[in-house]
This record gives sequence, C-alpha cells and structure tokens, in this order.
Amino acid sequence: MIKNYIKIAWRNLLKSKLYSFVNILGLTIGLTIGMLILLWVQDEMSFDTFHSKVNTIYRVNGVTGSGQGIKIWDNAQGPVATTALREIPGVRNAVRISHGWNSIYTYKDKLLKEENTGYTDPSFFVMFDFRLIKGSKTKPFPTDQSVIITESTAKRYFGDDEPVGKVIQQDHETNFTVSGVIADFPDNSSIKFDMLFPINIIARQYNASNFWKSLDTDWGNYGYSTFFDIKPGTSLQQVCDHLINAQKKVAPWIKVSPGNGYRLQPMSDIHFYQADGSSGSLQTVKTFLIVGIITLLIACINYVNLSTARAMLRAKEVSIRKIIGAQRRQLFAQFIIESVVFFCVSLFLAFGLLYILMPYYNDVSGKHLQLDMLNADLWKVVAVTFVGTLAISSIYPSLLLSSFEPLKALKGKLTMGIGQAAFRKILVTTQFVFSVTLIIVTVVIGKQLKFIREKDPGYDRSQVFSFRTGQLGEHLDAVKAKLKSVPGIRAVTSSDNKLVDNGRATGGVDWDGKPTDMMFIMHHFGIDENFMPVMNIKLKAGKNFSGSKADATHFILNETAIAMTGIKDPIGKRFKYQETEGTIIGVVKDFNAASFKQNIDPAVIYYQPYGYKLYIKTTGKDAAQAIAACKQLWDKYNSGFPFEYRFMDEEYDALYKTDQRSGVLFNIFSAVAIVISCLGLFGLATYTAQIMMKEIGIRKVLGASVGGIIALVSKDFLKLVVLAIVIASPIAWWAINKWLEEFVFRIDVGSSVFLISGAIAIGIAVLTISFQTIRAATANPVKSLRSE
Amino acid sequence: MIKITNLEKFYRTEEVETIALNKLSMEVKKGEFVAIMGPSGCGKSTLLNILGLLDDPDAGSYLFNDIEVADFNERKRADLRKHNIGFVFQSFNLIDELTVFENVELPLIYTGVAAADRVKKVEAVLDKMQIMHRRNHYPQQLSGGQQQRVAIARAVVNTPKIILADEPTGNLDSSNGNDVMELLTDLNEQGTTIIMVTHSEHDARYSHRIIRLLDGQTVVENIMI
Repeated sequence: MIKNYIKIAWRNLLKSKLYSFVNILGLTIGLTIGMLILLWVQDEMSFDTFHSKVNTIYRVNGVTGSGQGIKIWDNAQGPVATTALREIPGVRNAVRISHGWNSIYTYKDKLLKEENTGYTDPSFFVMFDFRLIKGSKTKPFPTDQSVIITESTAKRYFGDDEPVGKVIQQDHETNFTVSGVIADFPDNSSIKFDMLFPINIIARQYNASNFWKSLDTDWGNYGYSTFFDIKPGTSLQQVCDHLINAQKKVAPWIKVSPGNGYRLQPMSDIHFYQADGSSGSLQTVKTFLIVGIITLLIACINYVNLSTARAMLRAKEVSIRKIIGAQRRQLFAQFIIESVVFFCVSLFLAFGLLYILMPYYNDVSGKHLQLDMLNADLWKVVAVTFVGTLAISSIYPSLLLSSFEPLKALKGKLTMGIGQAAFRKILVTTQFVFSVTLIIVTVVIGKQLKFIREKDPGYDRSQVFSFRTGQLGEHLDAVKAKLKSVPGIRAVTSSDNKLVDNGRATGGVDWDGKPTDMMFIMHHFGIDENFMPVMNIKLKAGKNFSGSKADATHFILNETAIAMTGIKDPIGKRFKYQETEGTIIGVVKDFNAASFKQNIDPAVIYYQPYGYKLYIKTTGKDAAQAIAACKQLWDKYNSGFPFEYRFMDEEYDALYKTDQRSGVLFNIFSAVAIVISCLGLFGLATYTAQIMMKEIGIRKVLGASVGGIIALVSKDFLKLVVLAIVIASPIAWWAINKWLEEFVFRIDVGSSVFLISGAIAIGIAVLTISFQTIRAATANPVKSLRSE
Repeated sequence: MIKITNLEKFYRTEEVETIALNKLSMEVKKGEFVAIMGPSGCGKSTLLNILGLLDDPDAGSYLFNDIEVADFNERKRADLRKHNIGFVFQSFNLIDELTVFENVELPLIYTGVAAADRVKKVEAVLDKMQIMHRRNHYPQQLSGGQQQRVAIARAVVNTPKIILADEPTGNLDSSNGNDVMELLTDLNEQGTTIIMVTHSEHDARYSHRIIRLLDGQTVVENIMI
C-alpha cells in the first residue's frame, strides 16, 4: 500500500512540473534557512553547557558605586575567592582568572604575539571541564614559571614535537616551561584562552611595603573573573552577604549601600546576560529564533496553499479511489505520504544547499558551525524542523483532499466552498503579514545601524592610527618631535587610555559637596595638551591643558560628569582624582567613549604627557609614509617586538561588529522569507489564472481590455497585500521599538518607514503576479473557451 | 439480491426541490442482467448511485442481500462496496498516474489482498480482457475501447457479486461498444449480476430486462426474450 502511495506521489511530482518546482523550491529554501537559523540558535544555547558542573557554578559580579553611579562588574577582587573558600561552607571550589598583557613569545626562531593569555588558579582545571590532554589536573603548574597552552598554540610553536618540557620566552626576558596541553577551548565557551599562567605570578608582584600587601588582601582591584562552585541548597544571598561583610571589615572605605553587594550569576547565564542583568546575546538569539520560525511558517503556508489550490485537480482521483473502496483514512494516509515525499526531496536538496552555504554562513555569522552528519545535535535540529513543518503543512490538505464526496468530484460539480477560498486568503494574508513585518524591521535595522555608524561620537577619528609606545615611551618627547616633522603626519599626541571603547573607571574621585556615603564611578583618561585639538574634542567652558607644570593638578570633566556631580560653576572648583588634589580648568562637550548603545558616562580627564599610547593623525594620502616612519622608530627602540598599529576607524567599527553581523544576517533571512512568500503568491496566481481562464475568455469576447483583465485578476491579491500591511504595521512597530530599546541613541521611526515598506511589499506582489496575469489576459479567448 | 421499496431522493437548492426518485420500487435477482433506460433527468444515474452505495436515499428501504443498507454510514458503505460491487463508467475513470496493471490492482490493495495473489489475479483478468500486452502503459496511451476494457477489468478483479455500469459504451465507437457489451454478457453468463444504465436501445438488447424510468418512477418493464 505504502509503495503504491509513494509511487503515485512521485509520479504526481514529476507530472506537474511547475507546481512541484515552486513547492519544492519554497520548501527547500525554507528548510535550509530554518535549519541554518536553528543551528545558530542551538549553538548559542549550548554556550558553557558542556561543563558538568554548569548548574552549580556561579560567576561573582562585584558592584561599586550607588544610585545613578552604580557599576556592576563582571569580575571581583582577588580575596573574594580565597575568603569564600576559607570561610563560606557552601562554596566547594573557587577559581580566579585574570587576563594577561599582550606579550610576544619566542621559541627557537619562532616569534609570536599572544593576545589571549590568562592567569588562573590551579582549581581552574578541576572546576571546569576543559580537557587537559597532558599535565596534571591537581598540580597543573609545578612552578611559577609553568605555562599550559592549548593544542593549537602548541602546534604553532612546536609543530608536531612534544610540547611538554619545552621552554618559551616571554618578551625576550622570562622563561616559561610548558607543563601541560589543554584541548582548544570550544567555540561555545565563554572562557577562552591560548595560554594559561599560574596566578602566583600576580601574587608575587605584591610586597609588604605596598598599600595592598598581597593579592589575597587586595580588596581594591576588581580584576579577576571569579567563579564559585556552590553546593546545591546553599543560600546564595548568604554567600554574598558574607563576602560584603568580609570586604567591609578589611576595606571599610569602599562604600557599601543596600543593593550594591556582590551578585552571583549562574554560569549558564553569562553568555546571555551581562553582569548588570541587561541582555547580552539573548536578544539576538530570540530575534533569530522568531525569524527562523517565521521563515518555516511561511514555507509551510506556501505548501498548504499550493496543495489546497491544486486539490480540485486531484478530485477525480480521490473519487475513483473512494468508489473502488478506499477508506477515508487510507486516502488521508496517502496524502500525508505524498507530503512526506515532497518534504524528503526538499530536505535532501536543503542538505545540499546547507553544505554549499555553510562556509559563507560561518563567515557572515562569525561561527564555526559544521555539517557533521554524525552529530546528534544536527539531527535534533533536522528532526524538529522536518517533523514540525511536515505536521503543520500536511494535515490540512490531507484532510481536505480525503473529504471529497466522490460523486460530486467525479462529475466536476465540486466547487471549492467559500470557506475554502477564505481559508486560503487568510493564509496568503498571514504570509504577507510576516513578510511586511520583516521588510519594515529590516528597513529600520538598516537605518539604525547606519545611524550609529555615522553619528558623530564627539571626536574626529578620521585618519588617526594608534600604537603602544613600548620602550619608545622613555624617549617620548624626542619621538613626538621627530614624528611631527615626517611628511604625511599632521599631528602627534598621546594618551594613557583608549578613546574608542574605553573600559576603565575609577571610584577615587571627590569634590566639594559630594555626599559622604556616595561612591561615584567615573571614566578616566590621561592626555597630553595636543590630544583634544587633534581629536577635535570641543571645550564647552574653561580651557585645555597648556603643557605647563601646573597641569599636574588640573582636571577637565565632561558635561555628564558636571551634570551628575552637580558641581555649580565648575571652572576653578576643587576636584580630587585618586591621590591628587586639584582644580577643574575645563569642561568638554560629551563625547562617546563607548558604543551608542550605552549612555555617555561621566569622565575625568587629567594631564598625562607620557601616555603609553601614541596617536598619529595623518594627511590621509601619505598614511603609508607615516606608518613607515613610526615603524622605523619602533624598531629602533623595540627591537624583537612586532610593530602593530590600528586605525581608529577600525576600532570604531569593531564596536558594532556584532550588530553589523546581525544586521546582515537579518537582511538575508528577511529576503529569503520574502522570496518564499512570493513563490507562494506566484503559485497561487498561476492557479487563479487557470481557474479564471473561462471567465477571462468570455470577458474578452465581450470586449474587456487586457488592462481590465489584469486589474481583475490582480485586484484580489492586492487587497490581501494591503490588508497584510495594515495588520503588520502595528506588529512591526512594536517589534522595532523593542529592538531599539537596546540603543540609547536611536532613530525616530516615522510613518515613512511604513509607507516605504508597504510600497515595497505591493511592488513585490505586483511583480510576482504580473507574469501570470499578463499571460492570462493576453491569451487567445478562443483557445481558453474551447479547452473548457 | 437487490430489493428497493418506496425509495425517495430529493435534490434541494435554496429555492427549488427536485424529486429525483419518487417512491421507486424494484427488485433485481442474482444473475440477472438489467438495463435501466429513460430520458435525461429521469433519475437513472441517481438510482445507480444509490444502488452502488455511493449515495444514500432520503426515504425508503434498500435491501442488499437481505441486509438493510439504506441507513449505512460512509465507512460501512465503503466496506460493503469494495467487497461486492464493481463499477464501469462512461468516461472510464482510470487514474492517469497509474499504469494499466496498477489501476486494476487498486481494488485488491484496498481489500487487503497479498501482493503475490494480486499479481496472479490482475494478470488473469488482464489476460481475459485481452490487454495483457498493455499492462505497463498509462491510460492516456490507450484507445477508448482499451481503456474501457481496463475499467471493466478493474471492476471485476475483485470478483464482485454485482457490476453497475453507467453508459459503458457512451464514449466508444460501435465496434468497440459491441466488444464491451460482449464482455459484460460473458461476465453475466459466468454468474455476475449486472445493472446497466444506457441510452442505447441496441445495448439494452443485451440485457434480460429493461426498466424504463420517467420522472423518478418506473413506467414500464420489458422482459427481453
């Protein structure tokens, strides 16, 4: 029986070529995109879940400041881990991780720069499930001069040689012996390093004469990603309370107010939520999941629409089968199997498409997804997609087809009832509601991304590149003077911090009238006197640094800082930055040191003529010459270290890389969803033209014009599209506002977006159906009437 | 074998009610060959459909092998139909996507006959209808006469007790039409009851008895000699 069903399904597929082509194409594209998106979502959802203790591991988020100035860090101080292990019963294990500096490492003739190194506790290898291939889990660092490297790092230095026991040199100074090899960190891990050093190296840098005597008592430096393995049933609140009490005892000057104690964030959440609870990648995951489901739904609707539209052509067969003795359920089974055949063909093609598209997709999405046929996770996605769409698509047409009354169908008296036609109209409208929503959202996302990319951040980053000074710093005045004379270099300045994406902040600020229990967190920059003119940062009041000795106690604040601190007539007022008492000499207009997703933070600018970062403004066309001159100087003072520079434009673009990526993906997905909708519309228009052939013929004989006929056939479709625009607009409005919430600086969404999107939708619909309507309208009426 | 009493059937639209069968009574015995004749719209096709359990009457009784089937539901009717009744139509009604062999095999599939038996039975009946050489062709590759022979083959492959034929020669030329009538006569002689609706006096002469209908009622019965 099944053989018979499959056979007839296959023959039907071959017989109605256009119908099959449209249907299979729609399904294939839908399944492909659906699976691509779901694979992406699955990969995102799998972040950090490979740790067997994922449910008991928490990250400790430190909190400073209060009220408006509250800052929640994704790390904590050094003593947090040791205190917890020593004093809090529920904390079974604790790990600290600190990022290392970018250094260069040499082995024999190899010289490589490592940007992703870390210092950590030995417990790292026990708490987490990163696979230690060689070395001891319990004693990973036999000495403080040990290092554990990943498999691919080992390959880079030692090729196929045994890495354990080999010695690499850091910055031409310090030797480290490889004591173990760890498997490369998985793509879906929030923790990723190439080299891991013992945290003791940091601990050794403390000495008794410092303010902070040791790493384990330094409550001032929030520099360690700290993870706890906590026994289930332990009160997390009590753990946090215990920590804050310990901190209060040792460092009472760190102001604690209700709400700014420590926070424990489950390991499984850290990829999705930032430390302060705002959404990390969760928003994107949700958006894409919805787009994926919509794409699949559109493909399903297509299938339902086309199969029900064609149902009349199958009526005779159904009748004969019924007369011969088929039960309804047998016919139902037959049509389900027919759908299965269609879906199987589409799935097969979708796999081919997936295989071809995967590299491009990875490129655009920044992932490393693989089409590994032995991977159970892949099949989970395939199964969910396949079964879900099949169930949605096949049940209604099968019910409809198997319900025909044999006699009527056979005599050609079968007319699709009003309900039938209405149902298909609802489907087409739904499809276009999805499409129009996607068009609107795509237009808005594009506009917003363009807006933030092009919005003036308050400084001029064009033609400026920067590099770290290294040993140049010791001859900075001479270097600056020399560079200024190089043709192609317009200006030279230095700073001790990044301007783009500045992450540094301090609570060590004071001014007259500051509430005693307030901890106020500010960004801080140290710059020379040329920095503001070069970057075109505008002064609102007061003056810039002059380069004189007096500048050591001069501060410039930004507008936000003035507003938030409430300092009246700031010029000349007292301001204390860390240990320096001084006065405010200027106020700068706000400039954005982070992405436009965030508010502009308060910032204090102090005078620092010897910042470690040199900024070179070039004339543009002679940039290459400027870079060459810098390299020459670099090589002179930093021999053995590679010269690396970066244009501020690149740094700036990197801020929005994830958004740009999501934007591109969204564009692609929307375009595909719209194409599938159009396939459905095309199929339906074809069918309608067929059904209306006689009517068109009669009308033409009676004198209807071609234009009139086109209008007649198109009218019904366009009505649906307009209805869809009306329904989609509020939905899209809600969705884009939700999305825009993420941005502090955002575009105004006017009615023009909706009008443009509506026009696009109508344009696409007209184009899609015009082929069929024009063909129907220009057909010879004699022919169409005869064939009736 | 078939006994109907006071059978009524109405067709309603919003405004008019048309009586198709008006208290019609008749009986067909096992092994009979009955022709039903009458002008267009007299109710002969309606009668045939009810007899074939494709349609249900609005009133009256229908005994099939002494079982009352007038009130059978769709599932029961389908069940009775597939084991007992074979259909032959004017327009053949073969499934275009299936080959000759597969078309004839279809009723056997629905009655659950094992695959090996199906092949035997289909081959036997195709042989009998002299279209064995066309077994792998599709309906549209055959002439009308051949198609009707396939349809008859499909109607008899399940060895039904009764064959209902709705103008079986209507779409055929006279030579092919005569062949079909010979086939039906052969089947009847082998014991199959046949009820045939026809417009053709010539075809009706192959039957034992002609029932003439007018306005849903029997007007006259001719016994053929």
